[in-house]
Amino acid sequence: MKTDIMNHESEMLYAGHNACPGCGAALAVRYLTRALGPDLALVLTASCWSIITGMPPLTALKCPILHCPFPSAGSVGSGVRRGLNAKGQYDTTVVVLAGDGGTFDIGLQALSGAAQRNEDYMFVCYDNEAYMNTGMQTSSATPFGARTATAPYPLFKEGQKKDIMQIMAAHSIPYAATATVAFPEDMERKLKKAREIRGFRFIHILSPCPPGWGTESSDTIHLSRQAVATGFFPLYEIINGVSWKMTCQPEGKRLPLKEYLSGQRRFKQMEDVRIEALQEEVDHDWEVLLKRIEASK
Amino acid sequence: MLPEIVKEQVSYACGTEPCTVNKTGEWRFLTPGKAERPSPCNQGCLLDGEIPAWLEAVKLERWEEAWQIMSRRNPFPALTGYVCFHPCTENCNRGQLDRDIEIPAVEKAIGQWRLDHYKPKVKALTAKGRVAIVGSGPAGMSCAYYLNEAGYEVTVFEREKVIGGMFTLGIPEYRLPRRVLKKELDLLESEGIKFRTGCNIGSDIRLSELYAEFDEVFLASGAWKPRRAGISGEDSSGAWNALDFLKAVNSSSSPAIADPVVVIGGGNAAVDSARSALRLNGVNHVTLIYRRSRAEMPAGQVEVEAAEHEGVELICNALPREIEEDGQAVKSILLDHCKTSLEGLAIDRSRAFSKTCGTVIMALGQERDYTLFDTLEKSSVLFAGGDLISGPATVPEAINAGRNAAMAIMAKIEGLPGPGLPAAEQSPVKFEELNLGAKMNLQLQDVQADPSAEASRCLGCGTCNTCGICYLFCPDMAVDVVDGRYEFNLDYCKGCGICFKECPSRALAMEGGR
Ligand SMILES: Cc1cc2nc3c(=O)[nH]c(=O)nc-3n(C[C@H](O)[C@H](O)[C@H](O)COP(=O)(O)OP(=O)(O)OC[C@H]3O[C@@H](n4cnc5c(N)ncnc54)[C@H](O)[C@@H]3O)c2cc1C
Ligand SMILES: Cc1ncc(C[n+]2csc(CCOP(=O)(O)OP(=O)(O)O)c2C)c(N)n1
Ligand code: SF4
Ligand code: SF4
Ligand code: SF4
Ligand SMILES: [Mg+2]
Repeated sequence: MKTDIMNHESEMLYAGHNACPGCGAALAVRYLTRALGPDLALVLTASCWSIITGMPPLTALKCPILHCPFPSAGSVGSGVRRGLNAKGQYDTTVVVLAGDGGTFDIGLQALSGAAQRNEDYMFVCYDNEAYMNTGMQTSSATPFGARTATAPYPLFKEGQKKDIMQIMAAHSIPYAATATVAFPEDMERKLKKAREIRGFRFIHILSPCPPGWGTESSDTIHLSRQAVATGFFPLYEIINGVSWKMTCQPEGKRLPLKEYLSGQRRFKQMEDVRIEALQEEVDHDWEVLLKRIEASK
Repeated sequence: MLPEIVKEQVSYACGTEPCTVNKTGEWRFLTPGKAERPSPCNQGCLLDGEIPAWLEAVKLERWEEAWQIMSRRNPFPALTGYVCFHPCTENCNRGQLDRDIEIPAVEKAIGQWRLDHYKPKVKALTAKGRVAIVGSGPAGMSCAYYLNEAGYEVTVFEREKVIGGMFTLGIPEYRLPRRVLKKELDLLESEGIKFRTGCNIGSDIRLSELYAEFDEVFLASGAWKPRRAGISGEDSSGAWNALDFLKAVNSSSSPAIADPVVVIGGGNAAVDSARSALRLNGVNHVTLIYRRSRAEMPAGQVEVEAAEHEGVELICNALPREIEEDGQAVKSILLDHCKTSLEGLAIDRSRAFSKTCGTVIMALGQERDYTLFDTLEKSSVLFAGGDLISGPATVPEAINAGRNAAMAIMAKIEGLPGPGLPAAEQSPVKFEELNLGAKMNLQLQDVQADPSAEASRCLGCGTCNTCGICYLFCPDMAVDVVDGRYEFNLDYCKGCGICFKECPSRALAMEGGR
């Protein structure tokens, strides 16, 4: 395979980190750092990744990490960029890394501010669809119908997953893209493209979480692939908030959503009507996405 | 305090140490490992030739290694690349995606590498034993090769003036280039194997004399006795048996035969005779006559098609009744119409017809000839193999027989346990079992270029083909790249099983516990 991702010399993630077996977030950041490193500075909010990288002096990454309070990530990113510029380190890539809780909910205000100001850095959200580090509480990124610690059986998450990509597109930022761990080449290409663009860039990475989703640890890649194949998580990019483009869609028809849901305990005992409702939501979003893509051609 | 070795790995990150001191492999609940299963190609291979393994080595352009793997089972890939019927390609899984792997092309390339890069070994002064081999065909050559490699002194006795058996005297040049064959045979000699040609065991030297002089003897004299039709005219001048005819053609004596030519038979010797005859000066018309239907011809369809393409006329469902002579020379052949029925061949004498011809070549098959054994007085263990034992078979089967004999002879002389029973058969990895979900990551284009590009198309069904998917998807950096290949680092593997699940080749297994 002739992709940079196979080049082990550019790895930035150390073995011995604290992620759970089969962690999608560990993989997401592995691909992220090797695509953007070595001259890279990370700003990190409280999340699983704080635990994955561990307590100082130990670290899981070959680059500096600045931990910041939850709601301030967007602002801290702005500050780090300007600070490095003041020092003349224009070439250092600045990335804010946050979970879905830190992005969709708690961090949204500062994120929106930085995007609106078109700050010159990259905001990456690894989305495991709940507050996993504190015990799998519902976030606004949790899909409809899923069970979480705050919506245990017979409850379930009501209301749909927040469409963060539309929010970011509405800020007319130069670049926004989705990615997931089963397609590292696609992810790498987007990250490298984003690195070369000035202004605010946003990457949304779907990262399966075996304990949080109730899945086999071996299924992480398979699920990530199915999320794309069902259209639940399409892979696309948005330039300047207006030009939408699909980047990587498996050939043939979309798989029924049921196939993606059935392997996950968080969707166990989900009634057929709800599965249908979620399927309709996915179909609807898919049509909207295709129209946007068509309109930007 | 951190050990020095870890300190060295400390990166440019602000005053921190890598977390590699955490041996997170201690969390492991399942352990991954290589667990190879047979591939459909190997299942078809008459030599059990470890095909995916040498394809993988060629993909990495590691020719020496490819040769090492290849020669464990097949020391003559340059020759089998040309003459083997390649049942391996029949069920190639890659064919279900686009096109079969061209296994013969890669096989030939490994053979050619060997011919080009051969360097004689320094041999031990004292041989482990002295072995005589009767017959220098593929079976004898293979046995000689393995014994010689292992440090035995080997003498091959051959009744003909040339060595190589069917390679040299049966299979025609247009199917096996003589420059390749010559190089291979020369190589055997330069490796130190002794050949005594023109020495018929049984008449020139008695078999019992060989047993007296050598530690062991391997008999591989083939199946050269022509089966006769038992019809009149079979012995007239102008009537040949196929092996004599091919021998004459292949000894470059270019026999003068009269046009038109009729060949009787449907096997490889028949097709080879027909095609060889058509290449002779003065021959304009060749007819191949077979008693059953075309579909029932034992010769390979490719061969039959090639013959027709070259202009050989094919008549099926006809059986010779009589070769009609004019004085001493062949004038025509009388044939009956016949058909395969449940009771066997149904001959219809009412539909006889005659075909004018100057030459008839009978290719009705060969039989084993055991007269050699008549001169044998007493021997407790007898080693014999190839066509002599199996009856007319194939080159790879003869090579296999020669290798098995070499192993058994070594075991006997060195007092080692003999070749064990073959391992229990596992089912080959089916196309549906492969994880082509990783197809997007693998970029499986259908490129056709050099042998290594061709080899890299192999999906490695049941065998690691160094695709790197396990490395790519391990969240724990627990798959190391060691000399271009992938190895588990159990210090860090948490046993998630992603590598096992994603391996496209199905070459891994997870075992319980650490
Ligand atoms: C025309 C023809 C074409 C063929 N084409 C193919 C092909 O394309 N692919 C394939 O896989 N198979 C093919 N075969 C079959 C294949 O050639 C044989 O199965 C194979 O050669 C058998 O090897 P062997 O070593 O047992 O015997 P042989 O190759 O027959 O070698 C036996 C040797 O022993 C010698 N010998 C015999 N008696 C004595 C004696 N008393 N003393 C000393 N030497 C003796 C013979 O002269 C001969 O050299 C073909 C066969 C024929 C007849
Ligand atoms: C201000 C503040 N509130 C709450 C927490 C507790 N906390 C730590 S991690 C976490 C969950 C974060 O969820 P998410 O951003 O989705 O990341 P994940 O753990 O799922 O990777 C929370 C609530 C905190 N550290 N700081
Ligand atoms: S793809 Fe490779 S291993 Fe699989 S059957 Fe074909 S040649 Fe053999
Ligand atoms: S994933 Fe690829 S490299 Fe890894 S064991 Fe399987 S075939 Fe070999
Ligand atoms: S993917 Fe990595 S951690 Fe998971 S079982 Fe394989 S080697 Fe171990
Ligand atoms: Mg989360």
